[in-house]
Amino acid sequence: MDKQLDLLQGTLDMLILKAVSLGPLHGYGILLRIQQISKDRLEIQQGSLYPALYRLEHQGWIASEWGESENKRKAKYYKLTVAGKRRLQAETENWNSMADVIAGILGTKPEEV
Amino acid sequence: MRFWSQLRSWIQTTLRRSRMESEMDAELRFHIETFTEDLVRDGVSRQEALRRARIEFGGIERVKEEGREARGVSFLDELLQDLRYGQRVLRKSPGFAVVAVLTLALGIGATTAIFSVVNAVLLRPLAMEDPSRVVYLQEQWQDIFPGVSVGNFSDLKKLSTSFAELSASNNASFNLEARELPERVDGEIATANYFATFGVQPLAGRVFTAEEDRPGLPKVVVISERMWRARLQADPSIVGQPIRINGLPTTVVGVMPKSFDPLLSNSDVWVPAAYTAEQLADHDDHYLNVMGRLKPGMSQAQAQSELNVIAHRLQQLYPLDDKDRGFRIQPLTSVLLGDQRLGLRMMLAAVGFLLLIACANIANLQLARSRTRQKEIAMRAALGASPSRIARQLLAENAVLGLAGGVVGVLLAHWALSWILAHGPAEMPRLDQSRIDASALTFAISVALLSSLLFGLAPALRSASTRLNEIFKSTSGVSSGSRDRVRCLLVIGEVALALILMTGAGLLIRSALLVSHVDPGFDTSNVVVGRVGLPDPGYHDPAVARQAFERMITAAAALPGLESVAVVSRAPLAGGGSSNGLLPEGKPFDPANLVNSQLQIISPSYLSTARVPLKAGRDFTLQDTRERIFVAIVNETLARTMWPAENPIGKRFACCESGPKGRLDPVWHEVVGVVADVHAQGLGRQVQPAFYIPIAQMPPSAWDWIGRTMDLVVRTRGGVVPVQELQSTVASVAPEVPIYGLSTMQQKISDTLERSHFDTFLLAIFAATALLLSSVGIYGVLSYMVAQRTRDIGIRMALGASQTQIVWDVLGFGVRLAAIGLAIGIAGALGATRCLSSLLYGVHPTDAITFIAVSLLLLLVALIASYLPARRATRVDPIVALRYE
Repeated sequence: MDKQLDLLQGTLDMLILKAVSLGPLHGYGILLRIQQISKDRLEIQQGSLYPALYRLEHQGWIASEWGESENKRKAKYYKLTVAGKRRLQAETENWNSMADVIAGILGTKPEEV
Repeated sequence: MRFWSQLRSWIQTTLRRSRMESEMDAELRFHIETFTEDLVRDGVSRQEALRRARIEFGGIERVKEEGREARGVSFLDELLQDLRYGQRVLRKSPGFAVVAVLTLALGIGATTAIFSVVNAVLLRPLAMEDPSRVVYLQEQWQDIFPGVSVGNFSDLKKLSTSFAELSASNNASFNLEARELPERVDGEIATANYFATFGVQPLAGRVFTAEEDRPGLPKVVVISERMWRARLQADPSIVGQPIRINGLPTTVVGVMPKSFDPLLSNSDVWVPAAYTAEQLADHDDHYLNVMGRLKPGMSQAQAQSELNVIAHRLQQLYPLDDKDRGFRIQPLTSVLLGDQRLGLRMMLAAVGFLLLIACANIANLQLARSRTRQKEIAMRAALGASPSRIARQLLAENAVLGLAGGVVGVLLAHWALSWILAHGPAEMPRLDQSRIDASALTFAISVALLSSLLFGLAPALRSASTRLNEIFKSTSGVSSGSRDRVRCLLVIGEVALALILMTGAGLLIRSALLVSHVDPGFDTSNVVVGRVGLPDPGYHDPAVARQAFERMITAAAALPGLESVAVVSRAPLAGGGSSNGLLPEGKPFDPANLVNSQLQIISPSYLSTARVPLKAGRDFTLQDTRERIFVAIVNETLARTMWPAENPIGKRFACCESGPKGRLDPVWHEVVGVVADVHAQGLGRQVQPAFYIPIAQMPPSAWDWIGRTMDLVVRTRGGVVPVQELQSTVASVAPEVPIYGLSTMQQKISDTLERSHFDTFLLAIFAATALLLSSVGIYGVLSYMVAQRTRDIGIRMALGASQTQIVWDVLGFGVRLAAIGLAIGIAGALGATRCLSSLLYGVHPTDAITFIAVSLLLLLVALIASYLPARRATRVDPIVALRYE
C-alpha cells in the first residue's frame, strides 16, 4: 500500500459532496466510498467527517433522512441537494484550474523562465 | 398571551435540541458499531475491533461539540453557555466575586432606593386626568406671588376664554363631630367646578353642584375616602347622611377616592365656597388657590398672554387694589413638586457618582485579574476562539457579576427605602408612595447590566485585542504600561467624583451646623404651642371670639406648672400667616410705597411668654384697646426697612383697615416698641419684616384672615407637657372646640430642620462611601503595582536604595494619583456645588474652608491607603525579588 496522504485543508467538503453525488450514503458509507475511490491513499480522520457533514447540511448542500442500512439498522442517509450539485460543479472547476496552475508552476524548468 | 407563546417556543427549542442530540448519538454509535463489525468480519477479535474503532474515530465528545458548532447553535445557547461559564469562573475566585458583588450592590442599592423615591415623588404623574393641562394661577405684585382675591377670581372667570375650567379653593380646617369626640380636620373651601378641573370622579355619591355653591343654602360636604374609612367606619350608606362640621349639620353628598389629593394638602373635606356678594366684590384679600384646565389646543403661553390683557383691564377697573398687579400661571406639577426637584436630583446625581465609583473599582479589579488570566484567554484564542467570541464571553462573565450585584442591590434598596420612609422628611409629598415596584426593578436590572458593561468593557476589549505572542513571551515581572495607565485613570476619576460628593456633603454639613447655631430670636425652652380654631357660626362676633381666647388664657394661666400663657395668630415656625402692606406716615398713598410685612396678632402677654427681647420702647398692656390710640410693635428688620437710621418709636404707619370715610381714609398705628428679629419662617430663612398688634385692637375683618384660629403659647416650668389639662381648659371655654397640633417649640424647630438634616445625612453617607471606595481603589492599584515591580524594587534595593526611599516612591505615586484626581474634582465641584446654593445657609457654594477641609481629608485617606502597599514594598528581599518569577 502506498503511503497515505494527509487531506489538504478544505478538500474534505468537496470529497463528501462528490461521494454523495453518486447516490445517498450514510456517514460510514461516505468514509468507505472515499477510501475506496482513492484506493486507500487518503487518510481521513473519522471524527472530522461528522462536523463536516453537519456543516454542509446546515449550508443546505446536502440533505439527510433516516433509512435502513445494509445490516438492517437505522442509519442517517445523506444525499446531494440541487444547490449542492451546483456547488460541487463550481468547486470541481475551481479545483481543476487551480491544479493546472500549480502543476504548471511546479513543472517549470530553468530554461523556461 | 405573550408568556405562553414564549414558553412554547422555549419548549420547542429544548425539545428540538434534545432530539438533535439523540440523533447525533445514534448516528455516531451506528458508525462505530458498523466499523467494528467490519473489523470483526476481517478477523479481528470483537474486543480489539471495538478498541480500534474507538481510537480511529477519535474523541466522541469533541466530535459532538464540533458538530453542534457546525450546526450553528443559537445565540441564546451560547449566551447561556457563557453565563454558566462566567458563573463557574466567579465561583473559583470567591474573594473577588464577593468584593465585586458587594461593591456593586452598594451602588445599585443606593441608586435604586433613590430612584424609587424620585419615581414616586417627581416622575409619577399627579392622580388626575391629563395633569399636563392643569395650571396653577397666582397674582403677581412687585416680586411676590400671592393668592388670588375672590373679586379677581370672579372677574377672571368671566373674562378669560383660555380655560375649560377655572376653579378656586382655599385651605381651611374644620371642627368635625362625626360619632366621636370633636376633631380638627384639614380641608378646602372650593368652588363647584373644582373637581371637574381635575377630572376625577367620586368613589360614591356625587360632587356638589353649582346650585349648591351659593350662599345661604343647607350645608353639603364631600369627604375623602381616608376619612370615610378611618372615622366613619366605611359606612356604605354615608351618602345623604348628616355629619356636624363647625357645629352645623352638613349632608355628605360624595366620597372622593384616596388618590384624589390634587394640591397635595391631605384634605379630608371639601365644602362649597358659596362666595357672598361682599366676597365677590373683595379685590383686597389675596388668598385663593386658583387652578385652571387649559382648553384643548390652548398653550400655556397663549393663556398667559390673555391673562396679561385681563390684568391690564383689572388694573384700570380697580386702581386701588389691582394697581401693578398681574397674573402668572405655571404647570400645577411644577408648583407642587418644584421644591423637591433640586434635592432629589442632587441625591440621584450623588448615587450616580457612587455607582460610577463602584464600577471603576470593579473595572480595576477586573483589569488586575485579566492579567493573571491572560494565559487562559490566550489559550482560548490559540484554540480558535475569535476575538469577538472572547470579548462576548468576558462580558457575559461581567453580566453574571452585574446581575448578582443587582439582586443583592435590590435587597439593599428595599432595606434602605424602608429606612427612608421611616426617617424621611414628612413634608415631602408622595414620599410614602415610594416602593420597589416594577419600574424600580427594571431600573435596577438596567443599571446592573449597564454597569457590568461599563466595568467589563475595558478588560474585554483589551483581552480581545491582545496579541498572542506577546502574552506567551511576557513574564510576570514586567508590567505592561498602558494597562497601568488605564487603571491609574480609573483611580483618578474615582477620587475626582469622591471629592465632588465630599464637597457637597461638606457644604451641607457646614450649613446645617450654622443653622443649628442660629439664634431663633426667642427662648425656645419649655415653650409649648397648640392651635385653637373657633367655628364661624358660634364665634362670628369679633368680641365673642376675642373674649373666648382671653378666657382661655386666664383659665390656662391658673393651671399648675405653667409660668405664663399667651395667644398669637401664627406662632414662629408654625407655617402660614398673613402679611399686610404698611404705608409709612408722610408718603403718598400709592401701592409702590407699601412695605409688605408679616402680621402677628398677639395677646399682651405674648412677647414676655415667648421671651422675645424688647430692644426699645414698651410692651403691649391690657389698656391697649380699640378705645385708645392704635399701637404696634415692629421687629428690627421692619424698623430698618421703613425708617432707616431713624428712631422708629413714635413713628406711625397706616395698615390693615380703613377709616369711616372709605378706602382712602388711613388708620394709623403708632410704633411703641421694637423687638428682636424672630426666625418665624425657619432658622435657615431670611427674617422678614414683621409687626405685632394687640388682640384688643385688631381690625374685625382680621378674624376672617386668620380663620378665627390662634396659636396658644404656653411657657411651662419644665416637666411634662400638660396635654390633657390644656385640652380640658379649651373645652371648658369653648365646648366642642379641640386644641390640636400640640408640640414643644424645640420639636417644631427640629421638624423644620428635618428636611435639610435628612439631605445632609444621606449625602454624608454617600460621600463617606465614595471616599472609602476610592481609597480601596488607590490601595488596589498601588498593591498591584508593588507586586508587579517586585523585581525593580529588589534591584533598586540591591543597588543601595534605602527603605525610606522606596516608601516615599510608592507613597508619592499614590499621593500623585490622588492629587490629580483632587484637582479635577475641585474643578468639577466648583461647577457642581453652585446648584446647591439654594439649599445652603450662610455658606457660599465655593466656601474655601469646606474645599480645603475635604481636600485634606481625602489626601490623608489617600496617604493611608498608599502606606500599606508602600510598607509591603520595603519588605521585599532583594535576593528573593531577583529570583521572583
